[in-house]
Amino acid sequence: MAHITVDGTVLEVKEGALLIEELLANNINIPHFCYHPALGKDGNCRMCMVEIEGQKRPQIACDTPIKEGMIIRTKGANIDRVKRSILELELINHPIDCPICDQAGECSLQNYYMDVGLYESRLSTPKTRGEKHVDLGANVVLDQERCVLCTRCVRFTKNITKTSELGVLSRADHSVITTFPGAKLSNPYAMNVVDLCPVGALTSKDFRFQKRVWFLNAKEAICDHCARGCSIFVDHHKEKYKDEVIYRYRPRLNDKINGYFICDAGRLSYHKENENKEFHALIRGKISEYEYAEGKLLRLLKRHLGKTAFVISSNLSLEEMVRVQKLAKLYEIALNAYEPERFDTSFGDDFLKCNDRSANARALPLLGIDTSKEMLQEALNRVELVVLIGRSDANVIKEMGYTQNIAILCSRCEVTCKEVELVLPIASHTRREGSFINLDGYVQHSACAIQSEHGHKTLLAILAPILGDTIFTCKEVWEAELFFYEVLKGVSFDSLKTTPKIAL
Amino acid sequence: MGIKIVPRHGNTLKEKLYLPAIFGGMKTTLSHLITNLSDTPEIKTINYPEEQPHDISERYRGVHRLTKRDDGSVRCVACFMCATACPAECIFIEAEERNDGVDEKMPKRFDIDLLECVFCGACVEACPCDAIRMDSGIFSFIGKKREDFVLSKEQLLANEEKKA
Ligand code: SF4
Ligand code: SF4
Ligand code: SF4
Ligand code: SF4
Ligand code: FES
Repeated sequence: MAHITVDGTVLEVKEGALLIEELLANNINIPHFCYHPALGKDGNCRMCMVEIEGQKRPQIACDTPIKEGMIIRTKGANIDRVKRSILELELINHPIDCPICDQAGECSLQNYYMDVGLYESRLSTPKTRGEKHVDLGANVVLDQERCVLCTRCVRFTKNITKTSELGVLSRADHSVITTFPGAKLSNPYAMNVVDLCPVGALTSKDFRFQKRVWFLNAKEAICDHCARGCSIFVDHHKEKYKDEVIYRYRPRLNDKINGYFICDAGRLSYHKENENKEFHALIRGKISEYEYAEGKLLRLLKRHLGKTAFVISSNLSLEEMVRVQKLAKLYEIALNAYEPERFDTSFGDDFLKCNDRSANARALPLLGIDTSKEMLQEALNRVELVVLIGRSDANVIKEMGYTQNIAILCSRCEVTCKEVELVLPIASHTRREGSFINLDGYVQHSACAIQSEHGHKTLLAILAPILGDTIFTCKEVWEAELFFYEVLKGVSFDSLKTTPKIAL
Repeated sequence: MGIKIVPRHGNTLKEKLYLPAIFGGMKTTLSHLITNLSDTPEIKTINYPEEQPHDISERYRGVHRLTKRDDGSVRCVACFMCATACPAECIFIEAEERNDGVDEKMPKRFDIDLLECVFCGACVEACPCDAIRMDSGIFSFIGKKREDFVLSKEQLLANEEKKA
């Protein structure tokens, strides 16, 4: 531990750590481009200057190790003048085309200019021009003119993905980021460079021109595209007279799971959340009122009392599983979660992506829910109603020789055929909250519950009246039911924020 | 909050009779009538719609128009500044890639709902490209259904600057 004085306040910090790390950790605003916690220091942008007592010139905070008793100034006319000059240098060849730049609103250059810039341009020579639209591959578009050459993107491909597709070409004014001739940016994590780029030089082809960022609302969630369960932000917006639309997923820092990054497949998986616009409740293939279909579910369950099986998806949240299990126990319904397509051996790698594509399959054995094909076969032989919950793969049970009534509760469904007794849409992943256990046993809560415009209820809301109680929220499920589980000992709803780990 | 007691007026006999006040008012009206009858051309009215107003000032905020570049193409770059500034939230923009080399971005759709617009001019002030103006001088806009009042990009581009 060391003690340093920053702008007159004494801070207790880690001796030997980088000054910028500790300053940022103490919420002290240090403008910076090239430093990034996941990529370390590079010392090329000179934006992070601070004054250190005893040193003749201002120093860069990103490459200064902390020593006991340092006295540091981050504010004041002197240091602001230095920062302004560096900003002026960065902006010499910048096209200042914020009106058409997707980064506007979350751009470091813009923010720093408003903090310490605000100067009149002194430039009298023409600016060096560059390419405005270079397709680097992997959905990443480069605008050479906006680049501040911080090399974050280069270091990402070099140090994190170890694919080294990007590099800096030419010298001085003509330096540009580029790929090697004939090669493209191509790795399953490439789109992270768009988040890393502090300015609008790298933009995502997927998000390009879709929405100005200041309209977006960010909600915390977790990705359900594979068992890693990366922490993400869901950026959504409801335009006047239109439905809520999700515009992008962004990585959310979680040291225990994904750090600062997510994979491209997970990032783009938000598209499926926007696709359920035309999804209606169906009774034998005919569109029905939602409330009527809900009643129909209850009638079906009553009619086939004792002769029903629930076949659930392993993507259901912990809370939903517990509630379904409770219902199954109450009415002696067979419960199974057999999924033939849970593993995808072409998906995983040694960084984040994993072959297990189920968001919450780890919860099944913990709750004692059976996943074997034999038990499902045995159940299918004696029941006359199968309710698929959170999934619509009716072909799986049909292939097992089942020919009687099927009801489907899911958020996306390709089956509309008349043989299916009932299709009841439920709120999809980002439209309901829920907790998930990832492949290492970390329990996370996905709090993102964007209002469903189509009146699709959450599974919890559908189950509550059937169970005859008023448990609608995850918090209530934790307090009323999950509380008793031995495997979740020491974990409470409120502690989920800290991503607790349980033994699997 | 304190309560302010206001004295009640109108309790005298003269006020309760009402007639003196009525005749007082009539006197003003009649004096205007006589002045106007004796000097008709000075009356400050026009025979609208046969006669159109001729005193619309340069700064009058009429129906919007989208301005054009020198090559006649749309100037707007779909930056959404106007839509962000608009207090009535009546500007609806959809952006698209512009591939003609003039610029990178342009509006695919640019609608203004005139029934919701409060003609405040905030959109004009907000535009960084001078792409939207309210100098068309159009002060009256007629439609048969609500949809007629939603001006499309093409309609807005067709509006011309009012000639002096
Ligand atoms: S493209 Fe972005 S991240 Fe890469 S060097 Fe330029 S400014 Fe930095
Ligand atoms: S690694 Fe898995 S959980 Fe993480 S973003 Fe990719 S698909 Fe989603
Ligand atoms: S004049 Fe005012 S209300 Fe009308 S479109 Fe412009 S900003 Fe909106
Ligand atoms: S009219 Fe102006 S402010 Fe509005 S989107 Fe177009 S360029 Fe931007
Ligand atoms: S952040 Fe310190 S030099 Fe770039």
